[in-house]
Amino acid sequence: MSIDARGRSKRLAWKTTIVALVTAVVLLVAGCTGTPSNNNANTNQKVQLTFSQWWAPEMPAGALQNLIDQFQTQNPNISVKLISAPFASLQTQTISEAASGTLPDVVGLDGAWVNPLFKQGALLNLTNAMKSANYDPKDLASQVGYNGATYMIPVVNFVYPLFTNDAILAKAGISSPPKTWSEFTADAKKISQSQAGAKGWVVPLGTTNPNGVQNDILSWAWASGGSMLKNGKPNLTGNPDVTGAVNLVKDLVQSNAVLPGANGLQETDKVENFINGRVGMMVDSLAHVTTITKGNAKLKFSVSAQPVKDGYMGKPGILTASWGIGISAKSQHPAEAWKLVQFLMSQATNSKLSTLANGFPGNKVSKPDFTGADPHFQQAFAIYQRSNPVNEFTGLPAANQLMTDFLNEFQKTVANQESTDKMLSNVQAQWQQQF
Amino acid sequence: MSAFTSSALRRRVRARIGLYFGLTLGAVFAGFPVLWMLSSSFKSNSNIFAYPPKLFDSSFTLAPYLAVLSNPVQIGYFVNSYVVALSVTVVTLFVALITGYVFSRYEFPLKRIINVVIIGVQAVPPITLLIPFFGIMVALKLYNTYQGLIITYVVFTLPYAVIMMTAYFDSLPKEMDEAAKVDGASAQSILWRILVPISVPGMVSVGLYTFMISWNEYLFALTLTQTDDRRTVPVGIQLLMGQNNYLWNEVMAMSILGSIPVLVLFLIFQRYFIGGLAAGAVKA
Amino acid sequence: MASSLLTPGQDQRSATVPAGRHQRPLRERLEPYLLISPTMLLILGLMVIPIVIVIGYSLMDNVVTNPTPKFVGISNYVTILTTPAFWSAAGNTLIFTVGSVVAHMVIGILFALMLNSKTMARVPRAIFRAIYILPWIFTASVVAVLWRLLLDPSGVINYLFTSVGLLHEAVPWLATASTALLAVTVINIWSGYPFFMISLLAGLQGVPTDLYEAARVDGAGFFRQFVSVTLPALKPILYSMALLDLLWTTQQFTLIWATTGGGPLERTEVLSTFTYKLAFNSYQFSMAATSAVIVLAGSLVVAVFYVRRQRKAAQR
Repeated sequence: MSIDARGRSKRLAWKTTIVALVTAVVLLVAGCTGTPSNNNANTNQKVQLTFSQWWAPEMPAGALQNLIDQFQTQNPNISVKLISAPFASLQTQTISEAASGTLPDVVGLDGAWVNPLFKQGALLNLTNAMKSANYDPKDLASQVGYNGATYMIPVVNFVYPLFTNDAILAKAGISSPPKTWSEFTADAKKISQSQAGAKGWVVPLGTTNPNGVQNDILSWAWASGGSMLKNGKPNLTGNPDVTGAVNLVKDLVQSNAVLPGANGLQETDKVENFINGRVGMMVDSLAHVTTITKGNAKLKFSVSAQPVKDGYMGKPGILTASWGIGISAKSQHPAEAWKLVQFLMSQATNSKLSTLANGFPGNKVSKPDFTGADPHFQQAFAIYQRSNPVNEFTGLPAANQLMTDFLNEFQKTVANQESTDKMLSNVQAQWQQQF
Repeated sequence: MSAFTSSALRRRVRARIGLYFGLTLGAVFAGFPVLWMLSSSFKSNSNIFAYPPKLFDSSFTLAPYLAVLSNPVQIGYFVNSYVVALSVTVVTLFVALITGYVFSRYEFPLKRIINVVIIGVQAVPPITLLIPFFGIMVALKLYNTYQGLIITYVVFTLPYAVIMMTAYFDSLPKEMDEAAKVDGASAQSILWRILVPISVPGMVSVGLYTFMISWNEYLFALTLTQTDDRRTVPVGIQLLMGQNNYLWNEVMAMSILGSIPVLVLFLIFQRYFIGGLAAGAVKA
Repeated sequence: MASSLLTPGQDQRSATVPAGRHQRPLRERLEPYLLISPTMLLILGLMVIPIVIVIGYSLMDNVVTNPTPKFVGISNYVTILTTPAFWSAAGNTLIFTVGSVVAHMVIGILFALMLNSKTMARVPRAIFRAIYILPWIFTASVVAVLWRLLLDPSGVINYLFTSVGLLHEAVPWLATASTALLAVTVINIWSGYPFFMISLLAGLQGVPTDLYEAARVDGAGFFRQFVSVTLPALKPILYSMALLDLLWTTQQFTLIWATTGGGPLERTEVLSTFTYKLAFNSYQFSMAATSAVIVLAGSLVVAVFYVRRQRKAAQR
């Protein structure tokens, strides 16, 4: 009898433990189902939109939120939740979200992400959205799309001029920023040889973020009217502009005219070293003017057009990167999402947004506001208006992989493991697999 | 006799000098990078790469720390890390205690296979699982929640915790619970009343390991959270590194601040920790 | 020691279990399963299922970016296994992992022995122990930032090396093809040895002092004592720590990604960065899954050794 009772109490005790354990796990899993991140059943019957982007961290604190507040006042039935992350981490996240069908309603897009997102059907056809909203896209400076339909609209464009450190140039006896490739090469070498602790140029060739290919190698070809594509297919072999650009950069790296350790540098390292006077020149986004002046208020620097191939007389190209925008194909509120896009592209908002970001508007009618802006900004706008904006990587499949392939082969040719021609034909072969 | 002692003494002195020399060398290897981190956190950002490098220079400033500590978003990262790491520690410990107890004290069919599975999953590179894991978290509506991160880290820390707890219980003589069983104690009370109290060292070492992993994890913390109110310290540090320019000094300051809790925990519990590992290690 | 104490109890149990098995009520027989069910549930749901999904991915032509994936059998495996880049990444992983594990072991033993020395007073011992543990408390992304700072051409390590004459000019360690793999391995050694050290330190507490006494009476010097007493006593821990470390180091991603990104000239490309690039640079998620499954298979071989080792230890 007593043994039986003991057995029963023992069993009861275990049962309690098991129940506690299982409840703990179940609670952990299920306890939070009541708080999903995008709850549509809002009490005021407001439509809630989510908007992911890397823009807010790159703008003055609260600036993007102010514009969004303005939108919410104009559209009292829509509320917008900003999801902000830095550029590098947003890519992994956006791809994972698209894979699981949880892409935010409105998504900030980079030219390199459009293709995979489009391929998996994660993006809404914006041409249709414009039609159903009776929107006339005549003011949009550019649109990115496939098969005649738009999937991404560049909201703000950033140009990549040549930045030169006035003091370092003057010390090397250079009176004005270089205008041609040969002047640039000569100046970079002059600076590197004449000044201890300073190099002529900085070229980031690290593979963690391979965009040095776009910003610091191929931009030379584009600036001189060259192209890496022909009818939408890679065209690297026997291409004089690309060959010239590769040889230009290779020569500077091999003659130690660039900051040492180029193979390990990232885009961020450019600004860092420019601010601290360790390089005389860099090709970089105009958006970084704020960072430079914040980092070293005393630094005197100039912006000028990227030097062109000797003898080139045509209209120069200028590397342009964009903050793009798109809408999730799975959005429950595509009409409201389009309203937000339209708001950001409207003449007034777009000029405000681009001014805040030190970029140029994606709306042709918008004018950046130069009052109180950094003087470099106005100079760069003049360069921008004189040049063709280019970025041939936008919308290409696996743009990051294309750049990584290019970079790996480029590192080989710099190490004299292969000739420039061999390098370009290798890259050409690798690229063709991705197209 | 006296010759013997003096030569022995000399040998001992030599050994001791050698020991301290070795210890100092080791301390330089281990500590110098950390010292440099500390020194960088007190420099102005433009002096980080000043040449020649100095341990402390004229730009000595507390500004990086003030910048981190006065930013509510960054304080929030710390709060999130505490919430997540502490919850994971409690849950993992609780589950591992019971599982370890079962593996140590019960014989049942399938035990060996289950054991192999538990140890085997340790071999899975977490990065492999990112996309499916993300999908599951979204399906469970755990995306961008504390619970999602907590469950993730519980799963990642559980295998090692179970191995350690099993080894620890194995090292405790079974006569103890056999005797208690004869006295009529339930298995339940054997675990909680007899084994747990004497297993504190083992629990501390498992707890510290768990806390450390969940405090430091980066990849999943980045992918499974979306907004600042759920992000943890490692992600915060990465965010600080920003897009345009490294704020080296603030990154260093935040790293130091982020590591202090772990160091303090270790210093408090180091005696137990090593004791716990020792008992587990004898069996492992 | 402990295991020899256990043997009688274990024998008793194994003798009684077969006889009692059929009489025990169902509920009692289910008890252990119920108790480990939370563990199993978690591991099944969040480890085994994702692994199965990944294996499924690896058999498709492409997933995620392809809305209608087609089954292609093992053709992805054939592709990956015939890609030279995969093998070079595997080679780098091997060098990186073996280098790290061996160094972890050597440094771990060395430091543990020094810290365990009886001639040291308590306070310096505590101080040194705290210093030696330091590398362990930093997350991999911080370690990466810190070492990028230290190894920079104008950083402190190059400064020290050039000023004492070890180097003629600053070397960009992480950006030079011939030194990059060495540099990331050193960083990994630095950040990973403390776990070894502590476990070994713990193991040393368990070595009975009378064994040393006996060895000393036999006239064994320090080295002989180490070889004939310490090492055999630590062997089981060393073995299982080495296997665990092997598994953990093969998975290392953040550290390499944040320092070199696999470059220069792919000299630091390891299997984890190779897999990541397949997924998030070229969006070939099926290929990435294939590469991951191959890594998993390799790791499982190590895991089997580990389990076998554990089982042997449990039987002793």
